[in-house]
Amino acid sequence: MKRWTVLVLAAFLGGGGASAQGPDSPVIAIRGARIIPVVGEDIPEGTILVRDGRIEALGKDVVLPSGVEIIEAKGLLAYPGLIDAYAFLGLQEITGVAATVDHRETGRFNPQVRTIEALRFDSMHIPIARSNGITAALVVPSGGIVSGRSALINLDGRNQRDMAVKPAAFLHVELPALRSGRVGAMGTRGGGEAPPADAGRILAEVRDLLNKARFYEKRRAFASKNTLLPKPMYDDTLGPLADVARGELPLMISVHSEKDIKTAIQFVAEEKLKAVFYGVEQGWKVAGELKEAGIPCVIGSLYDMPPVWEDGYDALFRNPGLLVKAGVRVAFSSSSATAAKDLPYHAAKAAAFGLDKRDALKAVTIDAAEILGVGGLMGSLEKGKMANIVLADNDILEPRTNVVHVFIAGRPVDLSNRYTELLDKFKKKGS
Amino acid sequence: MRRFRPHLVLALAGIVIASAAAEGADVGPTYALINLKVVPVSGPILEKGTIIVRDGLVEAVGPAGKITIPEDAEIVDGEGLTAYPGLISAHTNLFLEEAASPARPQSPAEFAAAVAPPSPPDQPGHEVFDQLKPKKASIDGFLKAGITTVLVAPGRGIFQGQSVLLNLNGEEAGPMVVRNPVALHLNFTTARGSYPSSLMGTIAYIRQKFYDAVHGATVRAVYAKNLKGMKRPAYDPFAMALVPFVRDKRPVVFQCNNREEIKRALTIIEEFKLNGWLSHANEAWREADLLKKTKLPLLVTLDARPPRSSLYVNQGEELRKKAEAEIYPANAANLAKSGVPFALTSLGLADGPAFLKAVQAAIKAGLSREDALRALTIRPAEYLGVAAELGTLEAGKIANIVLAKGDLFDEKTEIVQVFVDGVPAKF
Amino acid sequence: MPKKLRFLILALGTLAAASVSAEAGGSLLIKNGTLLTVTRGVLVKADILVVDGLIRKIGPSLDAPPGLPVVDVSGKYVIPGIIDSHTHIALDGTNEGSEAITPEADVGRVVNADDVSILTALSGGVTMVHTMHGSANPIGGPNVVLKMKWGRPSEELVVPQAWKTLKFALGENVKQSNRTIQIGGPPPRYPQTRMGTNAVIRREFLRAKDYLAEWERYEKLRTSNNPPPTLVPPRKDLRLEVLADVLRGRMVARCHAYVAPETLEFLLLSKELGFKVACFEHAWEAYKIVDALAEANIGISVFADSWAYKMEAAEGIAYNAGYCAKNGVLVSINSDSGERIRRLFNEAAKTMKYGGLGEDEALALITINPAIQLGVDKIVGSLEIGKQADIAVFTGHPMSAYARCDMTIIEGDVYFDRDRLVREREEAVQISPAGKRGGLR
Repeated sequence: MKRWTVLVLAAFLGGGGASAQGPDSPVIAIRGARIIPVVGEDIPEGTILVRDGRIEALGKDVVLPSGVEIIEAKGLLAYPGLIDAYAFLGLQEITGVAATVDHRETGRFNPQVRTIEALRFDSMHIPIARSNGITAALVVPSGGIVSGRSALINLDGRNQRDMAVKPAAFLHVELPALRSGRVGAMGTRGGGEAPPADAGRILAEVRDLLNKARFYEKRRAFASKNTLLPKPMYDDTLGPLADVARGELPLMISVHSEKDIKTAIQFVAEEKLKAVFYGVEQGWKVAGELKEAGIPCVIGSLYDMPPVWEDGYDALFRNPGLLVKAGVRVAFSSSSATAAKDLPYHAAKAAAFGLDKRDALKAVTIDAAEILGVGGLMGSLEKGKMANIVLADNDILEPRTNVVHVFIAGRPVDLSNRYTELLDKFKKKGS
Repeated sequence: MRRFRPHLVLALAGIVIASAAAEGADVGPTYALINLKVVPVSGPILEKGTIIVRDGLVEAVGPAGKITIPEDAEIVDGEGLTAYPGLISAHTNLFLEEAASPARPQSPAEFAAAVAPPSPPDQPGHEVFDQLKPKKASIDGFLKAGITTVLVAPGRGIFQGQSVLLNLNGEEAGPMVVRNPVALHLNFTTARGSYPSSLMGTIAYIRQKFYDAVHGATVRAVYAKNLKGMKRPAYDPFAMALVPFVRDKRPVVFQCNNREEIKRALTIIEEFKLNGWLSHANEAWREADLLKKTKLPLLVTLDARPPRSSLYVNQGEELRKKAEAEIYPANAANLAKSGVPFALTSLGLADGPAFLKAVQAAIKAGLSREDALRALTIRPAEYLGVAAELGTLEAGKIANIVLAKGDLFDEKTEIVQVFVDGVPAKF
Repeated sequence: MPKKLRFLILALGTLAAASVSAEAGGSLLIKNGTLLTVTRGVLVKADILVVDGLIRKIGPSLDAPPGLPVVDVSGKYVIPGIIDSHTHIALDGTNEGSEAITPEADVGRVVNADDVSILTALSGGVTMVHTMHGSANPIGGPNVVLKMKWGRPSEELVVPQAWKTLKFALGENVKQSNRTIQIGGPPPRYPQTRMGTNAVIRREFLRAKDYLAEWERYEKLRTSNNPPPTLVPPRKDLRLEVLADVLRGRMVARCHAYVAPETLEFLLLSKELGFKVACFEHAWEAYKIVDALAEANIGISVFADSWAYKMEAAEGIAYNAGYCAKNGVLVSINSDSGERIRRLFNEAAKTMKYGGLGEDEALALITINPAIQLGVDKIVGSLEIGKQADIAVFTGHPMSAYARCDMTIIEGDVYFDRDRLVREREEAVQISPAGKRGGLR
């Protein structure tokens, strides 16, 4: 009974899902833009017809129905909305003020926490990101070994449920970060650093929990059928692992060193789990193994120093290009909330160091969508897909580019944001 | 008259004998060390030599045939052994109860995180002799490594205090003293929980204190001529303790933990025209040209652990390992090659065995045995102003003698016997 | 100050300067590049002749003296070396946080030429930095301007022509409001408010004025016909000496300020106490008071958009830099980071979108503008004949995110060469130790 109530409420809040329609979703035609569908050839001058939140048609010659709202886009480029494959949008306002930060629960195992339940839909960082062409983001938890469940959201909607494309997208597992060996004056490791925990041992703990979860599920199911049998009390760690254990909810594993990536590949194969890796700073060293295993990679922020000196000063910049060359599917991330709008520049930076420009664009559009499990829904400008569209006056990965229009789920989106509001306020005031 | 003379003579003799007895330490046996190979440092090596030790001094040293063995001598047969002057480590932090403060300046993060109690205030006038607690195990360790003379300096603070030069003779500090005090010691470190908590603060603090000393001396000199009619100047014990070093040029030792600190020390020495010495200096080879020009006493530690901030340590594991194994141990060899004179010390090394290992590493890295020996004997004696008494095996000098089976700096060498102040050490 | 000491300091200073100028720089010919001079427009397919560290000729098809190394930059963009006007790299320590006022602590005395951040800077085309005190104190101390000459001894990095700057700071860091209070720990350090910060600065400058007066009185008496026999000089106070130098106009203030009111109040404070402010650091709310800044002719050295990390940065908009630049304020973009320093050109490019700056205006924010703010615009900051040959070579226009820095030259010597680095990587069959002094891999 209770469950039904929750579903009805969610449906009400969510407006029946992300493909909401109604008075906010007029029929729109974007006319005259250079269309970059990402999948397939560019259309030098074409039209995109949007209806009911979806792309109904696009091409050089599209017949427009009557009553359509026409957006003249001659001289502009039309891109699929960019997708941030790992972000803290909605979970951070001022990073130094703990009261405004909600992505890091305490403790080692937290499969029960869900970012959708803490997501501030009116975060000031969301309009800033979307006015730079980002229309969807994976909002992630962090910390511990099992951090919780992420949510994939559109960056527009009445509330966080309305924005949710996938309220539960991944279960996040974190393996230790790579720390370069900074040496103390007396030849010792500086700062009292403990030796990094072993990825193998950590994953063994995760495996153990998953096994426990499977048995827990079995016992509860069996006891439900046979009321004479004692039913195990609800376990807040094992219960939420059930869908992962069944292989229904994929894992996103934060993994960084060459050694740990190999260990994680083996773990995923043995447990027969669906997984995506995040971070993979030394992924280029095991690109072949990643390709073999078919594990896609979400790249961490390129705004970091390479943790291992010997890998080279530009290791993080070259990494995505080398992975793609080896056939690994790759997506970029901002790994941020306050700098979420910089997503395209991470892709461009990788393109400056060997990644093909087209692949760079794919890695923030269709490849990101595929990796996040919504490849049929977004990530390219194709008939039938959700109308997440960006109109820009230049290459979308360039910092000089102005984004002129953004559509999310077929609705035109307000491009004002905290930056523009404050500027307008003080422009008028004078000083 | 005749009747008085014998009594007078006897009385005088008695006084002489009595006074001699009062001034002499234990008058132990006279020793004749024979059949030795002798490395006097002051002259050519003697393949077969004799050393006579009497009353704490070397009475004679020379080729076997030339030296008469005195009747009262106890014979020590040195067959198969080589005699060296006792080694001098011209900078140590031995026999101090508290551990020496870390030599590294603290970063702001370290300062902010420090919950430990604040460090005690500096006392430049303090003589380390007052707090010495010699430990037999430590002494024996050093003797077994061939070191008979050590300069002990305080190990904590910026103005650390004043050092003492000791012969490692016995277990009581008093009789060990060769010179006290020797020098004022400064270290480029920071205070904990108080000013100065940064290296630049430390440098300003050092300079300010020396200016205060200059000022204090100036004001006192004027006051001395105007005792009537001038308000008496405030007494600043810190500044007053520094006056001998600023005005009278008593020696000041700067501990320089990397190449930059060598330059920083030289700037301060120049600013106040100090009688400055440089110590630690395990990156001195990187400033060889400058050191050649400045000609200050240079006390180079054999501790080859690279400074934390060195570029050899922060560019990956490979280079760091090479720095520790090859580059820094070659410091002394490179200085010798550049023609920079120096003494070697054991500063920062845990004990005697560590010292021997470190000398061997320096020699393996290219320092000649002769240079190593001179840097541990006559050169530190010269720097310390005790070259008349120590540093070589010569008649009249203090009998600090090391008897080794084999070359002193060989890995397999065993030190069999050590004399300190003419007394054989028991270990 | 006693005559003897003044002479000594002058002598040391001259020695330092002499040793810098005595090192003549390198010579080379850069050929066939697109030259973004910053001050003299864009030259396509042109050359730069560098002799002994200075730019001697700029133009198409230059002849070079025989034997001069030639660097072919066909298809590449050549810009003046980037200047980062606010960093903390290449120093052994950045804050004397134990007391609030510490101008006697001089970062110029703790330069660390072994800092690998210098290599990071070079990889992003940065040739010069203004490396500073942190923001722990209302008055931190003197800063220093350094060239990124990796491998040279520290004294050769110092740029003697730069203005002498004194670091001030206001706001949250100074009043320590982002620290966790330790139960039973040391008592909080005064000041813990913005008003206390200004009071402490005022107090020190008034004391410095009295200090100056004391010395003037002493000099007068000393040089008079009948100096009293009991005359003694005042105690030389290194702390007040520095503030006295600020009052004498020999040093300029660079003040870390975030919110608009504290920025305005510092302006008033500087007028009240009689010292010059060269630049505000960070100045996240400069856009709110742009007219006051333009009128006072005080520049700002800011981030492009790194905001929202503490309360005083909560209203820091990405339009700040561009908007102020368009409204008469001299703006430079800085990194304040050993990582971001290599992406300064990317950061500057953001002002094209947020502020509508053109390519050249954006490039000026990291070249000639910081040079002007540091008083070194006569010697660096643009590609002009007679200036020092601090040059960076990019694979594309630096305002494009697809561009990469491939070479960095300081006074005619190549300090970063990506082609050579990549060749070395490829040639390394077995892992071999990095060169004698290391360097980028």
